Amino acid sequence: MGMFQFKLPDIGEGMHEGEIVKWHVKPGDQVEEDQVLLEVQNDKAVVELPSPVSGTVKEVLVEEGTVATVGQVLVVFEVAGEGNAAEGGADFKAEHNEVKDNAATGGAAEQVQKADSPVPAASGPAQAPQAAATVAAGGTADVLATPAVRKLAREKGINIRQMRGTGRHGQVTREDVLAFATGGAPAEEAAPSPAAEAAAAPEAGGLEERVPLRGIRKVIANAMTKSVYTAPHVTIMDEADVTKLVEFRTQLKPLAEKRGAKLTYLPFIVKALVAAVKQFPVLNASVDDERSEIVYKKYYNIGIATNTENGLIVPVVKDADRKSMLDIAREIADLAARGREGKLSAPEMKGSTVTISNIGSAGGMFFTPVINWPEVAILGIGRISDKPVVRDGQVVPGKVLALSLSFDHRIIDGATAQNAVNKIKELLENPQLLVMEV
Amino acid sequence: MVVGEVTHERDVLVIGAGPGGYVAAIRAAQLGKKVTIVDKQYVGGVCLNVGCIPSKALITAAHHYETMTGSADMGITAEGVKLDFAKVQAWKAGIVNKLTGGVKSLLAGNKVEFVSGEAFFTGPDEVRVAGEYEGARYKFKDCIIATGSRPFELKNLPFGGRILSSTEALSLPEVPKTMIVVGGGYIGVELGQTYAKFGTKVTILEGSPSILPGFEEEASKLVVKNLKKLGIDIVTEAMAQGAKQTDQDVTVTFTADGKEQQLTAEYVLVTVGRKPNTDELGLDVIGLETNPRGLLDVDAQSRTKMPHIYAIGDIVPGPALAHKASYEGKVAAEAIAGLPSAVDYKAIPAVVFSDPEIASVGLSEKEAKAAGRSVVTGKFPYAANGRALSMNAVDGFVKLVAEKETGLVIGALVAGAEASNLIAELGLAIEMGAVLEDLALTIHAHPTLGEIVMETAEGALGQAIHQINR
Repeated sequence: MGMFQFKLPDIGEGMHEGEIVKWHVKPGDQVEEDQVLLEVQNDKAVVELPSPVSGTVKEVLVEEGTVATVGQVLVVFEVAGEGNAAEGGADFKAEHNEVKDNAATGGAAEQVQKADSPVPAASGPAQAPQAAATVAAGGTADVLATPAVRKLAREKGINIRQMRGTGRHGQVTREDVLAFATGGAPAEEAAPSPAAEAAAAPEAGGLEERVPLRGIRKVIANAMTKSVYTAPHVTIMDEADVTKLVEFRTQLKPLAEKRGAKLTYLPFIVKALVAAVKQFPVLNASVDDERSEIVYKKYYNIGIATNTENGLIVPVVKDADRKSMLDIAREIADLAARGREGKLSAPEMKGSTVTISNIGSAGGMFFTPVINWPEVAILGIGRISDKPVVRDGQVVPGKVLALSLSFDHRIIDGATAQNAVNKIKELLENPQLLVMEV
Repeated sequence: MVVGEVTHERDVLVIGAGPGGYVAAIRAAQLGKKVTIVDKQYVGGVCLNVGCIPSKALITAAHHYETMTGSADMGITAEGVKLDFAKVQAWKAGIVNKLTGGVKSLLAGNKVEFVSGEAFFTGPDEVRVAGEYEGARYKFKDCIIATGSRPFELKNLPFGGRILSSTEALSLPEVPKTMIVVGGGYIGVELGQTYAKFGTKVTILEGSPSILPGFEEEASKLVVKNLKKLGIDIVTEAMAQGAKQTDQDVTVTFTADGKEQQLTAEYVLVTVGRKPNTDELGLDVIGLETNPRGLLDVDAQSRTKMPHIYAIGDIVPGPALAHKASYEGKVAAEAIAGLPSAVDYKAIPAVVFSDPEIASVGLSEKEAKAAGRSVVTGKFPYAANGRALSMNAVDGFVKLVAEKETGLVIGALVAGAEASNLIAELGLAIEMGAVLEDLALTIHAHPTLGEIVMETAEGALGQAIHQINR
């Protein structure tokens, strides 16, 4: 009998971790090969992981609801024959075959030359000639490209991982590499840009620095490009006299604090937006391009665009229509804090139906926010400024909030959008009304 | 510095002239470097002198001997077939000489200087080479360590006398009547089976539940069947405890089935793995540490923690295989020359020259599933292939592992005649990103074993012609 450790495999989309959504087995269960063991959520979907072996579940090491990283041992089986784990926990590497001689004495401790990772991680300072930066980053053997093309990419100083292959099954071809090298090429998901040619690698002479577009920055880049090239954006801008709201919030703030919530203006705006999109459902929709259908959503998940050191992320307040203002306040604070620490799980950052982008905290006023595609509307919040307002024919000092609403003109007409903005304005200007919407 | 020692200055110093080192030296020289290669023993290393090549010579000789006396099915009976083992050994030595001579002239032709002696680091850019009579110092800009590995020695069965490592087992003056092989990995099986074919009564003691533990059972069981046919006793889950030698024989004590047992034979061959040669180089002098397995960790250009010192082959992680060493040697030499080369393979083939041969490349079905890949497999028997039948080689199969969704070939296992050659096509398929249809739609000559590969791919697609598709 041997022990077999099942580690979280790379579940695709470049995810390094996944949330264990559900276990289908428990210790003591008999498991057949290919039987579903558990469900893991990655960036895009919930994936069922089948068992690679038949055996008995000895131990489940990761609980439901927790986030596991790729390579982490999730479950240990007792299997017939050789397992992949010595009792002492010898590492199992599935990457390649090994030819090994087994000690007939002494035990595993004396066994040498077990297979190891074929491309060891770069260790130590690798001062190297020119292209070493891309080279030292590690092998690229997992990229779908022939050896000659992988070599060509190294010679051109290109990280082939960042390329989108145009060949069969997404294979990166020689032409892809050459085009990429001259700047005219499709990087992953990026839209073709005729202007790119002109920008191709000028003589920089140290006056330029090239930094690979990676990680969250790349995700943002792709998302923005996709949105702008898909949805014809129109932005309408308006001002709301929020004098009463400011007073109201000032009153409520200490009360909220007693109940453990820091009350900002955002929860009010979330509620106002929910009320507006309930009245104008087309703002809480998306377009299914493939089937040419508008998808109206009967749930209200509000994305809150949040600035972090690494870049923009959009955590989601789910079912905002069914939560109290205080709950929303707490949730936003928690999501934002964990977002800045990079500790949000993928499900906490998706599923939004309409989004709020707040530039006011940085001091701005009107702007043209980019829709969080596939949503169709985004509400931009500017700063609240002291301004003269006319009330009952009198010019008086007021608190004025700048609002910008970008919408997808394919399905939302200007008047509808303006009516929605009017509704938001009405609620923010008269917080008593807002209370009735809660 | 010792008085009288000369210091030489070189661009590149390669330590070890095995299949990793000599290839690295030649490539570095081709790229315009002034190269010296040092080896304490042989040009060509273990592989050419006491490993891959001589063992294959003996395996082939044993195979011929066996078929001469075992081809009655084909209507061939031979009488008076004689084995002149001294002649076999001489023939083998001739092959080794031819190849090592070839490497020497390649080195010379590329203006690579060969120095015989043992290298020891005396500083971060200097080694002392102790030759038989004299020493010299070599300063280098870059160094490639390619010192390989040696047979792993068991404390309770130390090499010497009648306790042999693979090295001595390849050079026995005559065929022993009896032999015990401790360790049923690929070396033990290859040599044990070879001597059994020459007439030795062989017993294999293996620590794990089956021989060839690194390979899948569906392949290794074909070998087990043939070993048993040759009268080889296989004792699994056996632990050798010690050995006593006399003038004529050696008695091994081992435990198996919970009992202590003894077995006597003319020789005991110990093949329990290989140990990296990193312990006698003075690595500590320059502050280069090995990992707990005695291996040097390297980056994707085979560079150690010290940017001008590279390590390749059996002394770095990965399987201890000559072809991997050669590949890494080229990468290291090119990196030294400033080229953007990298260790960047998708798969390394592994071959056991047993009878029948076993060869694999890429992921096994089990490994692929463990990695969470959704796979489809195909398996086609030699018994349904015309050429296999006409070669009297019906035992065997080709198995392919491919991604279910795309058909991308990610692994292959071949057991049977010429598996060692058939695996080349499958390694290429994996590197090129071929899908099952590519293999299925490539015309393979008839009648050849290569058709099995094509039919296996068709089978995985559910459309094999010479097999009923389920």
